[in-house]
Amino acid sequence: MPSTQFVNRVAVLTVALIFTAVSSIRAAESSSQSADIETQLLATLRSDAPPAEKAITCKRLAIHGSSAAVPELARLLPDEQLSSWARIALEAIPGEAADEALRNATDSIQGRLLVGMINSIGVRRDAKAVARLTAFLQDKDAEVASAAAVALGRIGNSDAVQALRQSLAAKSDDVRSAVAEGCILCAERLLGEGKSGEAAKLYDEVRKAKVPQQRNIEATRGAILARGPEGIPLLLELLRSSDKKLFQLALGTAREFPGSKVDQALADELAKAKPERAALIVEAMADRTDTVVLAAVLKAAGEGPKQARAAAIAALARVGDASCLSALLGIALESDKDLADLAKSTLAELPGKEVDAKIIALLPDASGEVYPLLLETVGQRRIDAKDTLLKALSHADKSVRGAALAALGETVDLDGLSVLVSQVVAPKFPEDASVAHQALKAASIRMPDREACAAELTAALEKTSSAPTKATLLQILGDVGGANALAAIGAAAKSSDPELQDLSSRLLGKWMTADAAPVLLGLANELQEEKYQVRAIRGYIRIVRQFNLPEQQRAEMCRKAFEASRRPAEQKMVLEVLERYPNAANLKLAGEAIQAPELREEAIQAAIAIAQKVSEKGGNEKELLSQVGLSPVELKIVKAEYGAGTTQKDVTATLRTQAKDLPVIALASTSYNASFGGDPLPGTAKILRIQYQINGKPGEASFPENALIILPMPE
Amino acid sequence: MSKQSVNSKIVEQVHRRRFLKTTLSATSAAVMAPTIIPSSALGRDGAAAPSERIVMGGIGIGNRGTYDLSCFLPQPDVQFVAICDIKEKRRLAVKKIADEKYGNSNCEMYRDFRDLLDRSDIDAVLIATGPNWHATAAMNAAKAGKDMYCEKPVTKNIAQSLILAETMSRTGRVFQAGTQRRNLPHFAFACELARTGKLGKLKKVYAHPAGMQAMMSGWLPAEPEPDKEVVDWDMYLGPAAWRPFNEKLLDGFNFEKGGGLVGGGVLEWGSHCVDLCQWAVDDCLPPVEYDPPKDGQLVARYENGVELIFRETGWIPLGSCPVRFEGETGWVEAGDSGKLVLSSPELLAGRAVEEIGGYPATFHVRDFLDCVKSRSLTKGNAVAACNAHIACHAANIALHLDRQVKYDNVKHEFIDDQQANRLRSEALREPWRL
Repeated sequence: MPSTQFVNRVAVLTVALIFTAVSSIRAAESSSQSADIETQLLATLRSDAPPAEKAITCKRLAIHGSSAAVPELARLLPDEQLSSWARIALEAIPGEAADEALRNATDSIQGRLLVGMINSIGVRRDAKAVARLTAFLQDKDAEVASAAAVALGRIGNSDAVQALRQSLAAKSDDVRSAVAEGCILCAERLLGEGKSGEAAKLYDEVRKAKVPQQRNIEATRGAILARGPEGIPLLLELLRSSDKKLFQLALGTAREFPGSKVDQALADELAKAKPERAALIVEAMADRTDTVVLAAVLKAAGEGPKQARAAAIAALARVGDASCLSALLGIALESDKDLADLAKSTLAELPGKEVDAKIIALLPDASGEVYPLLLETVGQRRIDAKDTLLKALSHADKSVRGAALAALGETVDLDGLSVLVSQVVAPKFPEDASVAHQALKAASIRMPDREACAAELTAALEKTSSAPTKATLLQILGDVGGANALAAIGAAAKSSDPELQDLSSRLLGKWMTADAAPVLLGLANELQEEKYQVRAIRGYIRIVRQFNLPEQQRAEMCRKAFEASRRPAEQKMVLEVLERYPNAANLKLAGEAIQAPELREEAIQAAIAIAQKVSEKGGNEKELLSQVGLSPVELKIVKAEYGAGTTQKDVTATLRTQAKDLPVIALASTSYNASFGGDPLPGTAKILRIQYQINGKPGEASFPENALIILPMPE
Repeated sequence: MSKQSVNSKIVEQVHRRRFLKTTLSATSAAVMAPTIIPSSALGRDGAAAPSERIVMGGIGIGNRGTYDLSCFLPQPDVQFVAICDIKEKRRLAVKKIADEKYGNSNCEMYRDFRDLLDRSDIDAVLIATGPNWHATAAMNAAKAGKDMYCEKPVTKNIAQSLILAETMSRTGRVFQAGTQRRNLPHFAFACELARTGKLGKLKKVYAHPAGMQAMMSGWLPAEPEPDKEVVDWDMYLGPAAWRPFNEKLLDGFNFEKGGGLVGGGVLEWGSHCVDLCQWAVDDCLPPVEYDPPKDGQLVARYENGVELIFRETGWIPLGSCPVRFEGETGWVEAGDSGKLVLSSPELLAGRAVEEIGGYPATFHVRDFLDCVKSRSLTKGNAVAACNAHIACHAANIALHLDRQVKYDNVKHEFIDDQQANRLRSEALREPWRL
């Protein structure tokens, strides 16, 4: 339930915050240091520095400024560009000087800037400005008058209240609305201070005034809450209103209402409400969890229009207790499936230990459709009723056996796991196999000792000769995880049965802990069939890429992954990992990969990226690249064209800009079109031709669209 | 509409409310996302009855807003009728989307959101401007009597956070912050474990504020200002201090993100992941102590000693926006992949948690619309958003000042720290006020 106390506290403290922000002067921070900074900042303001510099200076004065800064800031208030920056500082600087500067500025400044001054005065709650603001209430500029009204509302002392009261009949609609806002702010403050009578009076005055409906709504909410129990009749009046907004206000305010008297009133109202409103009233009642009249909700759950019944059945999941059990069991067996399903969900959640005890007491004599319903509820509530459930496994009715199996899945401990294992390995009723599988899975994944659970499942795996049963157990082991499960699945991945091998390698490929890495690497080195070898090495690379590992370990694993990869595709994946985790070891490996022609492009790209990132942390990029054979050269771009056939775009200038002292050119984008300012020939494959000189020797090279530009060393 | 179809719809709505209110009680067997009403269940070609329809407008609909809108438009009880944006291109783009959806040309376009708020037929607004405008637009919408779904970060400083909560309460408005992860089952489950003691006594909650750095906003060189109808620069600046037009600043995502002196990832991501941490500690008041960053993490402490730790590395790879909650007997980690990792499978207690990756906002949008009707609290309500944002702002202040700050949740001020206190609020440019 939304806490009225909290909301009121926030309201009061908001005002307090704004007050203390500008009035408390504490010198925790080294004041002399701040004064030095202030002196420098003031020098900037006094100089002919550009407006941009003065603007940021104002922001810094918001932290470091004192009364000494006020005159310079005040000079900026009439400046259309810098006025708002100056107010940032003036709103924040504590003390009377800033208040006075803002007040004085209202004498000479007009229009929007004046509105800004008034807003700042309101934020600072400058009580000395009340008379001035009161005068502004009559200003012909409605924006000025409105700003003054809200500022008076923020100040909220008795003079401000008085001024606002007298302006509730202002001619302008906009001003009247702002005056009402000011009044409501004052009333909220009074209410927060415990002056509920005065607050109610002020709220009522706003309600009687000719103000927009939203102001009326705010005042009415306040009028109800300020009156306490005496506000209930007004709340009920709104609850019966044909105006949708007033009805909505009642629903919201009912949730905020303190005490318990309103709960009975809501219960009474529920009985009289129209069906479409009854459901919403039930929801509001149930949000008052501590004081709700349960009997009324229970009654609404059992009879009346469907929509109110549905809301009430759902509400019982939060506010019901054991007294609701019998009614809910009845609803769960009704022919209306919607309501029956809702009731089942509520039975699963109905609060209270007494509910469990009552359900256990009902089980021995249960029969017919109540029996599986109770068993299902036992499982959903995870009630310990093992003996009853085991007995039900032999029942002739499949639905009873199914409910019992599902309930066992939710409730058995490790000692009881064998029952479910045997139901999977050797089911008494073959048609129960699927339910038994689900039950064993549900039980296994919640076992606190997953190693013991996996050991039991592994033992069953070794005993059975049925391939489908093995597959079921392996899947469950995959869900359980842990060292034992990993070992069992790793062994199965070497199975001669292709289906088990396929399943196991898939399970290992998505393993969620890094301890699968050695198993996957072993498989990648041992397995001969490419499909499984690739799956294993990719699983290993996934761990290297994604998991949180110490830097050195990851680098070592990258090397192992590279060595165990049998195809360039996986080796390129390793290069991507190297790029992602730049360090010296990974640069070395990338350098080695440059020697392989099929990896050259990607390896150079990775090496450059790694060197750049390492150099950002203090290394020398050129030296790093020299270590991997990418030595600096003197590169000159003579001419470069991009296009196809007779349509060629001169991109010499772009390449000259991007070329550095390496025989590799990194463009701004991996897309040539993007790098060269557009596609010169859409829909046609294009070529980049470059004439160049390296160390004075001429060369020429062509590159297909978007290829990495690696210039061959001229002969 | 047939009686059956009406009733089916009602029951489905009730199912959704159950998820949204209880999420996961101690005994529920499965944690699923709320059901979306199939249009076939509604009759009348899926349209809601006029009395149940929520008439909406959009304020500031760019990239994120267009995504949000794509979650609103399929809702059968939503009628989107108006778009306000300071950019003509966006106004036209959103009008096209809405008009194509409804097969008419009724979506009205506005440059000034106050004109949109003046429309009495509009019940609620989607606010997806840049962060500079969020709080000011939200406060204006509330005072105009509109409910709102407002993107995050919602506020620029501590004062705005408090005024947000106070204003929504005073005006009786339904407010939903764009913290959509509060309506995703795996995050909800993780928070529930922490909140209900399933992890033992809670010790630490971890948030991932990618890009943890303090930022300063500024003033770029003047460029020729476009025609007001194309880009209304004055309205774009709105409550932010004046500066000349510069196209680079037109990316609202990066403009005054942190509200002046501070900002960055702590607020951008923190408004999601710190918000989840706040949920894990039962939406209590924000931490009272914030250390300066050290070794890549910033530690804050709640009054009861629980630590809120902002850190960028050291996560199980579960996608973006990860959170981790540690108690005396267990821990849980969740991220945007939709997956959970638990210290013990026993914590699942037989439940299946639906894995929804990619942090869709659909369920959050539905929560908002249902609350517009019921007037109940949304998951991302203003008080929850207020507390989460205060935690982010206070952490940012510690980051900016590079020293420990202590926050008093009763007085809402930093203890003996004038500089920190001055960073709690910032003047708005005229004529805007909260």
